[in-house]
Amino acid sequence: MHIAVLAKVVPDYAVPSSDFELVDKRAHAKYTRMIGLYDENAIETGVQLKQKYGASLTVISYGRDSDVPILRKALAMGADRLVLIQGESDDAYTLATNLKLAIEKLGDVDMILAGQQSADMDRGLVHGLTAGMLGYPFIPQVSRISSENGVWTVDQIMENGVREMSVSGKAVFSITSVPENVPRIPAVRDIFGAKKKPVEKMASVSGNGACVTETSVEIPILTSVCELIPVDDPGVMAQTLLKRLREARYL
Amino acid sequence: MKTLIVEIIEPNRLGELMTASRKFCDQPDIVAIGTGDIPGSYHVAYQTQECIGANLTASLGDLIKTNGYEIVLMSATTLGASIAGPLAILLSASIITEATGITDDSMIERPIYGGKAVARYKADTWPLILTIRRKYFEKDPLNGQTSSIPLPVSAGPVKLVTEKIEKAEGVPLEDAEVIVTGGRGMGGAENFSMLKDMAGYFPKGAVGASRGAVDEGWVSPSLQIGQTGKIVAPSVYFAIGVSGASQHLAGIANAKCVVAINKDEEANIFKRARFGLVCDYKNVIPEIVRALREES
Repeated sequence: MHIAVLAKVVPDYAVPSSDFELVDKRAHAKYTRMIGLYDENAIETGVQLKQKYGASLTVISYGRDSDVPILRKALAMGADRLVLIQGESDDAYTLATNLKLAIEKLGDVDMILAGQQSADMDRGLVHGLTAGMLGYPFIPQVSRISSENGVWTVDQIMENGVREMSVSGKAVFSITSVPENVPRIPAVRDIFGAKKKPVEKMASVSGNGACVTETSVEIPILTSVCELIPVDDPGVMAQTLLKRLREARYL
Repeated sequence: MKTLIVEIIEPNRLGELMTASRKFCDQPDIVAIGTGDIPGSYHVAYQTQECIGANLTASLGDLIKTNGYEIVLMSATTLGASIAGPLAILLSASIITEATGITDDSMIERPIYGGKAVARYKADTWPLILTIRRKYFEKDPLNGQTSSIPLPVSAGPVKLVTEKIEKAEGVPLEDAEVIVTGGRGMGGAENFSMLKDMAGYFPKGAVGASRGAVDEGWVSPSLQIGQTGKIVAPSVYFAIGVSGASQHLAGIANAKCVVAINKDEEANIFKRARFGLVCDYKNVIPEIVRALREES
């Protein structure tokens, strides 16, 4: 079994809104870069499946050469190798086109995992496009995966519950976060071991584009001014808070 | 423009999509998923009980090509996420997901970087697949009903094994007027009981959670509020032990009033809050509950 995980390096998603700056319609280059929020859940899921089924695990990323040291975290978590497609496009179709080519080049990939949403463009789209290009079934927001006789059984977290589904053959799943796939913290020996794992670089191709034009990117103006309510006497505080909420007709 | 809504039969979702559709047409068509009557007035209504996105894509693609739809509208939900990408490839379509606004000149707004910035797009070609984020479009009242014709759907690659629908206690989060949300600062699952007590004193009160609390396993994922959880728009949002990560704030952008309760006065949530209490929630929540009880 060969599992591929799609992972993206993004600007630090924990930077608060008040400190966020744009340059040329994109996050300022000064921010630390890290593996996307849900992509780490997908890597963790991939590592658990590798251990359970004796699979091989490849991480595929589209990005810059400077992303490689960051992506080595995935290798330290347990992935066997990294494929970096060298490119700087933000276009979803272009990303999916390149990811599809990398998956096809690997040749024997049985299942593709990805975080349910990146932490930069926030589209939750590239995995679905990639599945469409590959002609594989796509199931989003998956929290659990098992395999038996070539059939994947997955749990999908819906807005109002959980759906268990099965699919045969190759498929693409986007992974949501649940307590069972909180990313592991690699041990020191695994961090050193990751430096010896293979990293393959591929040149990117230009895709057809998502057929949309981005006309502007702006940082919204935050207008909220917080009124701190004294908490010296919790009883008085509770009365004051409820009174203020009613005065302002929020309650 | 010829517009098709694809959505489960759920009045809130359909109402928001109907409002969004008015930016493109007077009366859209619909593929309604599920059983029962279809609320609202549509030009043509198709209906299917197939609820798995991967099994619907091919039939939807045929329908859209045959009828020349220019706009395909869905909610940015599990179903929308299932369909949008593969359908866009099938149709070589433009695609924009998670829209939060549509201007009169058909420019599409959507947040990026966890809501820290807003981008505007215009479609270059048609059809355009467009998913809209919940709670950003006013609900149309959906007057009347529309009788439907069946949408033929061939057997798809995915089989439904089981479906467990969680019975929401009280008011669904999306409809709540007051939400009491706990974050990682709650410290444990057992502490959420006091939030339930507090929410219970509001007529349309509900309990939510941040991703941190869900990841800790303290509450069900169905209570998660944020960009990748529920998008909510209550009148009052109590954020208790919630740091205020931008991904969480993206889910409460339409809350009218945020009340932040956090020991850390530097917590980002205070920058979004209208009222703030810098303290241990265990000291103040019982007092708020006591005051509400005395009033009731």
